Amino acid sequence: MKRDSRPTAMLLAVILAAAAMSTLGIPALRGELVAVVQEPEAAQAPAADAPAAADASTAPAEPTDAAANASSQTPPAGGPLPDDYSCLTCHKKGGDLWNETTPTVDESHLTNDVHWKKGLRCHDCHGGSETLESFKNHRDDPDFRSLRVRQDSITFCGHCHSNLDYMRKFSPSARTDQETEYWTSGHGQRLKASAAGENAQADAGVATCISCHGGHGILAVKDVNSPVYPTNVAQTCSKCHSDAKLMEGRTYDGRRLGHDQYEQWTKGVHGVAMLSKGDISAPTCNDCHGNHGALPPSVGSVANACGTCHGKVSKLFAETRMKHKFEVAGMPGCAVCHGTHQTFNPGDSMIGMGDGALCAKCHNPANPQLGATLAGADLAKNIHAKLDELKRNIELAGDKVREAERLGMEVRGSRYDLHQAFDALTNARTLIHTFKPGPVDEAVDEGLKVTASVQESAAAALREHTYRRWWLAGSLVPILIVVGLLVATIRRTPLPESRYDPSHH
Amino acid sequence: MNTRRRFVGFLEERLGLDVLLGLARNKLVPIHASTPFYYFGGMAIFLFLVQIGTGILLSLYYKPSPDQAFESVQAIVTEVDFGWLIRSAHSWSANLLVGVLFLHLLTTFMMRAYRRPRELTWMTGIVLLGLFLAFGFSGYLLPWNELAFFATRVGTAIVGVVPVVGKQLLLLARSGEDVTGDTLARFYSLHVVVLPMLTFAVLGVHLFLVQKHGMSVPEKIVADARSKGGLRAMPFLPHFLLRDMVGWYLALAILAALAALFPWELGDKADPFKPAPDNIKPEWYFLFMFQALKVLPAHLGPFEGEVVGVLFFGACGLIVLFAPFLDRGKISRAVLASLAAVAVAFFIAMTSWGWFSGAEQTTLRVILGGIQTVVVLPLLIPFTAPGSNGRKLVYAGLTLAIAVLAVATWWETLG
Repeated sequence: MKRDSRPTAMLLAVILAAAAMSTLGIPALRGELVAVVQEPEAAQAPAADAPAAADASTAPAEPTDAAANASSQTPPAGGPLPDDYSCLTCHKKGGDLWNETTPTVDESHLTNDVHWKKGLRCHDCHGGSETLESFKNHRDDPDFRSLRVRQDSITFCGHCHSNLDYMRKFSPSARTDQETEYWTSGHGQRLKASAAGENAQADAGVATCISCHGGHGILAVKDVNSPVYPTNVAQTCSKCHSDAKLMEGRTYDGRRLGHDQYEQWTKGVHGVAMLSKGDISAPTCNDCHGNHGALPPSVGSVANACGTCHGKVSKLFAETRMKHKFEVAGMPGCAVCHGTHQTFNPGDSMIGMGDGALCAKCHNPANPQLGATLAGADLAKNIHAKLDELKRNIELAGDKVREAERLGMEVRGSRYDLHQAFDALTNARTLIHTFKPGPVDEAVDEGLKVTASVQESAAAALREHTYRRWWLAGSLVPILIVVGLLVATIRRTPLPESRYDPSHH
Repeated sequence: MNTRRRFVGFLEERLGLDVLLGLARNKLVPIHASTPFYYFGGMAIFLFLVQIGTGILLSLYYKPSPDQAFESVQAIVTEVDFGWLIRSAHSWSANLLVGVLFLHLLTTFMMRAYRRPRELTWMTGIVLLGLFLAFGFSGYLLPWNELAFFATRVGTAIVGVVPVVGKQLLLLARSGEDVTGDTLARFYSLHVVVLPMLTFAVLGVHLFLVQKHGMSVPEKIVADARSKGGLRAMPFLPHFLLRDMVGWYLALAILAALAALFPWELGDKADPFKPAPDNIKPEWYFLFMFQALKVLPAHLGPFEGEVVGVLFFGACGLIVLFAPFLDRGKISRAVLASLAAVAVAFFIAMTSWGWFSGAEQTTLRVILGGIQTVVVLPLLIPFTAPGSNGRKLVYAGLTLAIAVLAVATWWETLG
């Protein structure tokens, strides 16, 4: 069997169903499920989710307190499974009651599982008897929790993860709203519709908990190998959302879902920051779409999604008429200029009316769009010119500071001050999103004041350097005059006829 | 006039100045081919006085704590009037002083001035050299900049390699396991209190012995002089002093030029949590040891390379210190002379290797390398016969070094 933690998404459900069938003696179905177990990649496809018709009672028992109720058979947390661990009697290859059709559990996955490490054991998730002595056939055991249909996995995990009293034992600030959130997500809504037999949104193949987190071998979110660790999230989502075949025909809000979002994101500024620069604070899928309650942001709320990180820009943009015009036109706010999944690395060429300037798309005098005006075009040109002016002055000031440094002058203070000019430039670039001349001009002027001051202090350092040379020349003259006088005195002072007898010394 | 006489009489009665004046008036300096070598001692004292003066001025503003040391030096060079000059002069004269001391040592060695009864004069001189190197090592850390911090860490780690007492010496030097603010306080105290007191004491003994035994004259010249009834000589006052003063003023001019043209860099503030930069280097006079230890293999036979290196340099120091007692005959003399030649060659080679590895400010480094070559090459002159090919090669090398130095200086200052 191929060992891989990711395809265990469906493994859990299949194993349980197969175990139940094995007990019931349904060889045909049992064989089919074992085949799925042996091909976890195939089992992972959401659409292939068809749990067996195990008819055991699914009445959920209260979650057990693993630490408090540890049985004599419970192996130590995180350690390997002891040979006499009761579930292994059937579910370990070569176990006493194992046969070729019994689904098995990958032991290494199980012992690496975050639940296992916290002290939870098979029966804590699956219910049923925890010792071999009290074992009841899974079908006949009212405490056994089976996964008959796809949505069962939500309640299966939610059994504990929605129980605050229980989760608190592991973490005082544990979230317990994931299940509730899930049912509001695009995935959850479709799954619910499918369960209710509604046709409009019904989709039984959507992702559930185990699609992203895995089945057995679930790793903590903060574990770098977890499929939901920030650097892995996009790839995890892309397993389905980049699958052209799987996405074919799927829509949201009347629009086709597409299957190139991951590819676009990897090329965008966020994807590059995350994947190439290792910046785990860069946004990935769940930062804009939500995770358990994943939904595409609506046209009107795109700026809010971006504003999660770009707060100031979002606030400025929200107060503009342009936002309103975009909304009316059904255009997705920030994404109109900056792109969606492939967000562009913003540059000053985007503003203005020159080549590549985005303003020119609407403020085109020949073909204005959305009521764009010529005054707006002039404003864009002016803003671009102001930014250029500040950049030019920063460069000039930087050159002077570097020149002074090269000559050995101490201009650390000026170099530090120059950062304020860069800050002003950044601020001006942010204030562009007001689409008003005043705020941008004010920020640029602030920066120009700094560059003027830095240029002056760097120039003073250069003057000081020149002055030091003059000082040197000035000081060398008296020194050399003294040397000359000394030499003259030496020449004028004849040596007396003294004799030195080394033997006396 | 009467007032002046009364004042001199007042001092004379209390201080006995005419004893000192009599000593100075009666002091004679022999005139022979190696007489210029006598000026090195006076020049070293002059530079030491510059160090004292500039050091006192720096101490008015310097704050010896890791939080303030760097900032205080930064304030000295940017805000204090002529602070840049004082700091540069202090740093440059420290380096010139060590250079002059090296030359003083070598020329004294070449003249075999350590001969009986001047063994203690030689040994106090070597102790003084050690003290001035300690001045340099302790002073290097005081600005608390990145290079100095990591170089001190490496330098003190070398002390830790010494067998048996290494660990204790390391703790003593650093005041703990690592270079910290405690080390800075310790180095400052060493630099401005302990070392000056020791230096004054040893320098006093050294000068007393020089006065007591007079100037040493090379044996060959002594032999020639015996047949001629003695050597020509000049009185110390005023003749030798006037010539000495020419040297001092020239040193002052060089110092002023260096301080004004090449202000001593401050670098970046030390951050103990940052990784060590690639270009860690100690002061140039430790560079030969640093480079040699760096290129030594990790193991030399059954011994650790670094331990062997440290013990080797320790043994070299002891040989230099006890040279007067090792020079016992013709053969030992020849061995010592050969060792000295090898040591000078080793010093030049290792220093240059260390200095130019990873050079960035090429011009400045060429200038410093040129100065070094110009200073050290003349030392080979006594080892070559007049008119020989060796002597011509030295002259050619010297001419080339001076030309390179001139071009590089012109490039830096006017380019």
